[in-house]
Amino acid sequence: MDAPALRRAAAAAAMGVGGLLWLSAILFMARTAQHSEPFSRLHPWILMINVAGLVVLLALLATKLTQLVRDWRGHVIGSRLKARMVWTFGVLATLPILLVYFFAVQFLNRGIDSWFNVEIRQSLDDALVLSRSALETRMRDHLAATEMIASELSLSGGPLPGSLEMLRRQSGATEVIVATEYGVIITMSKGLSHDVVPDEVPSEVLLQVRQGRPFVSLEPLAEGGYLIRTAVPLGASSGDRGGMVVQATYPVAERLGALADTVQAAYQQFGEKDYLRKPLKASFILTLTVVLLLSLLAAWYGAIFTAQRLVQPIQDLVKGTRAVAQGDLDTRLPLTSHDEMGFLVHSFNDMTKRLRRAREDQQQAQQVAETERANLAIVLARLSTGVIALEPDLRIRTANRAAGSILGEELDGCEGRSFAGIGGAEGLLRQFSEACRSRLAAGETEWREQLVFPLETGRRVIMCACTPLPREGATHGGYVLVFDDITAMLQAQREAAWGEVARRLAHEIKNPLTPIRLSAERMRHKLMPSMNEQDAKLLDRGTETIVQQVEAMKEMVNAFSEYARAPRFEMTEVNLNQLVSELTDLYRAQVSGRGVTLDLRLDPALAGVVADRGRLRQLLHNLLTNSVEALEGRTGGRISIRTRRTGVGDDAVVELAVEDNGPGFQRELMGQVFDPYVTTKARGTGLGLAIVRKIVEEHGGHVEAENRPDGGARVRVALPLNGAIRGEAARREPHRSEPRRERA
Amino acid sequence: MSNTQARTGGFDRRLRRLPFAWAFCFFATLVAEPARADTTVEVTRAAIALDEGVYALDVDLGLNLPGGARRAIEAGLTLRLNYEIEIDRTRRYLPDPDVASLVQSYELSYHALSQRYLLRNRNSGEQQDFGGLPSALDRLTTVRGLPLIDASLLESGTTYEIRVRAELTLRSAPDTLSWLLFWTEDWSATSEWYAWTHRP
Repeated sequence: MDAPALRRAAAAAAMGVGGLLWLSAILFMARTAQHSEPFSRLHPWILMINVAGLVVLLALLATKLTQLVRDWRGHVIGSRLKARMVWTFGVLATLPILLVYFFAVQFLNRGIDSWFNVEIRQSLDDALVLSRSALETRMRDHLAATEMIASELSLSGGPLPGSLEMLRRQSGATEVIVATEYGVIITMSKGLSHDVVPDEVPSEVLLQVRQGRPFVSLEPLAEGGYLIRTAVPLGASSGDRGGMVVQATYPVAERLGALADTVQAAYQQFGEKDYLRKPLKASFILTLTVVLLLSLLAAWYGAIFTAQRLVQPIQDLVKGTRAVAQGDLDTRLPLTSHDEMGFLVHSFNDMTKRLRRAREDQQQAQQVAETERANLAIVLARLSTGVIALEPDLRIRTANRAAGSILGEELDGCEGRSFAGIGGAEGLLRQFSEACRSRLAAGETEWREQLVFPLETGRRVIMCACTPLPREGATHGGYVLVFDDITAMLQAQREAAWGEVARRLAHEIKNPLTPIRLSAERMRHKLMPSMNEQDAKLLDRGTETIVQQVEAMKEMVNAFSEYARAPRFEMTEVNLNQLVSELTDLYRAQVSGRGVTLDLRLDPALAGVVADRGRLRQLLHNLLTNSVEALEGRTGGRISIRTRRTGVGDDAVVELAVEDNGPGFQRELMGQVFDPYVTTKARGTGLGLAIVRKIVEEHGGHVEAENRPDGGARVRVALPLNGAIRGEAARREPHRSEPRRERA
Repeated sequence: MSNTQARTGGFDRRLRRLPFAWAFCFFATLVAEPARADTTVEVTRAAIALDEGVYALDVDLGLNLPGGARRAIEAGLTLRLNYEIEIDRTRRYLPDPDVASLVQSYELSYHALSQRYLLRNRNSGEQQDFGGLPSALDRLTTVRGLPLIDASLLESGTTYEIRVRAELTLRSAPDTLSWLLFWTEDWSATSEWYAWTHRP
């Protein structure tokens, strides 16, 4: 048994013992009020125990009421119902108890008063007077007899024993004493049935006789009965026997004495009770009051106890309901009864049990769903394909990293934002969202399409598929967009096609060119001497044309061969500033004659880049040639070459920018300027910028072409400082564009 | 012989009644009475004298009985007076052993039919009657020649302390109503110990 249970058991035992003691005290108090002698001595203690019990009960009740008031003010659940029940029960119990008490006190007062009414008092007084009268008659007779004895003794000349005995017998006295006035016995006569030792003459008898007055009195005897004592002076009338006293005692008849005792006892008891009437009433009222207070306090305490018992299950239910509402499904209410309230408690416990099971099942399902969701999130995060899930109202539900990488903007944390109008103006994300939104607005919920978006940096091709999500109940499930940037893939396919074209051109065209040229030169060498001058000139012009065209075709085939040639790298640390300076020195004299100026802005702190020096020279050559050709025929031409370092760590790159103030790229060709055979010039193979991009990608960098805001073209090349590694990576994944690879 | 007044009886009585004091206060409205005069009891003189080999005790008691107590007696209540007498042997370093103790009890009541006051010796059953209360009280408060102890029981040359005190209570004739006296005026009183030493 635990400590609280022990305390409760001890408290219950103490209450039980105290209650029994108190109940016994009340019963004893009632017994004492009924004149029970054994409890008379215990009356103060019994009263004390009763008062102490009342005080204890009052303290308990005060504690309960204080708690009830505190609960009421604190808006404790069930306190108002409990208070109403206590009030109702208490009032219902108090009214009849007070009514009974009031009438009981009235009856008690009137009843006790009726015991001592005037008639009874008068009757007792009359009985007493009557008894006295009866006895006084005898007392007078006996006094007369005593006076006769005294007279006879006086006449006989003295108290002779013989005459005294005769006189005693004649008078019927039990004892006759002749004594001096100071009580010295001279002679006596006493009946044989009595003690022979004479009693002393009481001083009050002597005193009264000395005053010359006879004495007579009725004296109760200790052993019961009465004695009439008479005394007269002896010889007082004649004067010759002065100073002597005759005392005679007479018995009272037994019957008369018994009657007198009865009257005396009744009178004494009545007088005693009359004297104690006030405390008797007070005692009865006190006993009644103690019982009243006991009943009242017990009734109120019982009302509180009963109300508590009735309200407790309701309080438990409310607390349990609140606990369940707050998610505590382990709540179990104690089953205190088997009535309707017990059935309700049982139902509540059963409900919480079922709820807990349902919650556990839900938690398990949720855990499975969370696991699957986490797995899906990991898969989505690792996917190189962009995925965007949209709500039915086109708000973004979720987007993976690849989506942001493909669309060029960070999409982390944009959940809940509207997909329409997202992203910067003219940006890829904005164009992509508008394209998707327009299709969804047109009711196309499931489609797959290759979308082409023109950008400042080139054309981007995105393959996108849209699928509606399963409906969630009655609501629309939304959409999911799955897309991939296929620009690089298309470019690679195009490059591969052009590489195949170049290789076949080199193989199919270059081989016959040498025999053609040799044949033409042989024809001119063989035939020209034998021909007239006019024919000779014609032949010479024809063969010269053939040779020139063959050379031109050979240059073109060489260019294609160069484009299609598999690179052989010699990776060294190249000082890009130095390379730029060397090459521009070669061009400076060539362009100065055309009014074109070269402007170099080289970063002196630029570190060396690991690259193939020859391929970088080819790259610079192609860019400068492209700019010089673009400024052909223009005055005030200017070519700017700028180098700088950007980024830190693995992201550190060397940027090379070549700008001119020429006409710039045609807008419709912006996405194709790096494609082979795309040119707006009358002369040229259209492979310059294609080779530039090929070299850049061979080194793991990337290149962009754009038009300057104030006119002219700009080509920016970014090469990683650790070009060897990037170059190997570029060779392993030739179809991936650099920014996308870094983000993924 | 030296006389001392031991002031312990009053304190003992008050201590014994202390638990009921607050109960009196609690129900004061039910038993409220006007202010009254208290009963006073005092042993004014006590002495022993050797008479034919027996020490006899003489006691004079000063008793002031208020009018309310006199009316209670006339109404039928009984006045009981107990003389408590103790004899201890006085020792210097050890506790004093009791040699003898005696309670002499008297009851005084009023006999309405004969209009006389009855004084009864409860030890011997002897009864005397008096025509007036003063003479009865005089007899009650005067003890003469009460046989106390045989002289042979007291060692010669040993010092003995003799103490006397009187306790007065008012009771109902039958004890069945005595508990009601709890709610009446308290006419009871106890004198201080009257003590002296005696060396045979």
